[in-house]
Amino acid sequence: MSEQMIPAGSLPLDPEALLLQQAQAGDSHAFEGLYRIHKRRVYSLCLRMLGSVPEAEDLTQEAFLLLHRKIKSFRGDSAFTTWLHRLTVNVVLMHLRRKGLSLVPLSDASETPTGESIQRELGNRDPILSGSVDRITLERAIQSLPPGYRFVFLLHDVEGYEHNEIAKMLECSVGNSKSQLHKARLKLREILRKRPHGGQTKNEVDQ
Amino acid sequence: MNDQNQPHKPLSCEEFHAQLPDLVGSGQDLSNHPHLASCPSCRSLVRDLEYIAAQAHLLLQPQEDDPAIEPSPAVWSGIASRLKEEKDYDK
Repeated sequence: MSEQMIPAGSLPLDPEALLLQQAQAGDSHAFEGLYRIHKRRVYSLCLRMLGSVPEAEDLTQEAFLLLHRKIKSFRGDSAFTTWLHRLTVNVVLMHLRRKGLSLVPLSDASETPTGESIQRELGNRDPILSGSVDRITLERAIQSLPPGYRFVFLLHDVEGYEHNEIAKMLECSVGNSKSQLHKARLKLREILRKRPHGGQTKNEVDQ
Repeated sequence: MNDQNQPHKPLSCEEFHAQLPDLVGSGQDLSNHPHLASCPSCRSLVRDLEYIAAQAHLLLQPQEDDPAIEPSPAVWSGIASRLKEEKDYDK
């Protein structure tokens, strides 16, 4: 095995592909290089889904250990980043299932907006969310969502998974995934409009 | 049921809300939806929901210079240690 260190980001041609090839051949330095390239993305996904730094670090570790065990099975059918992301999501979901957390409620009819609540909401607004939400505010709002809403929102709106993929991952129906996503966005809107500077009228913003 | 050829009946806000998860979930462009043409409140709602989704995708990608998404050095130490224990590391 080569003992030569390959610094990530300094190779002239497709350094990640080379690192991947070397890591698949058992090169530990190359595997560390892959870790350095992907650690932020994996960790941020874990952190957003779990909301806890210690848990996110534990699951980042578990994801890379699983990657090490499975890396030889990666055949390039999808981008490596996509493959690693999916692996990470599965590690997090397995962890949550072990904790006994319900990932998506089977029935949440009680949370469906009623005609009365819709009318109350519609009659009380001049919303101008557009242009007023920054990253930290959004991160905090997402963390305050119920877990079922949060997972679907993160997987769909942040990570870019389709509803059929989310349904498989969360073991729910496509309709349930769509419903959870919609409710997550509604809840986020409600949270963002309640914050001190959220949902102002145009006159308030202009002042 | 195929209602493609049926004239559009005006939807109430409640009926429109009931359809929204499927409409949004299917990725349809709602800008020309007949209910929105006549309902400023639902138009604002849809605009906000689309804005939230767009901002989430735009703002929440990992930032290379954000220390908040940097796992501590202990994470790699733990990985290296576990791999060494498994005896299939660095041989």
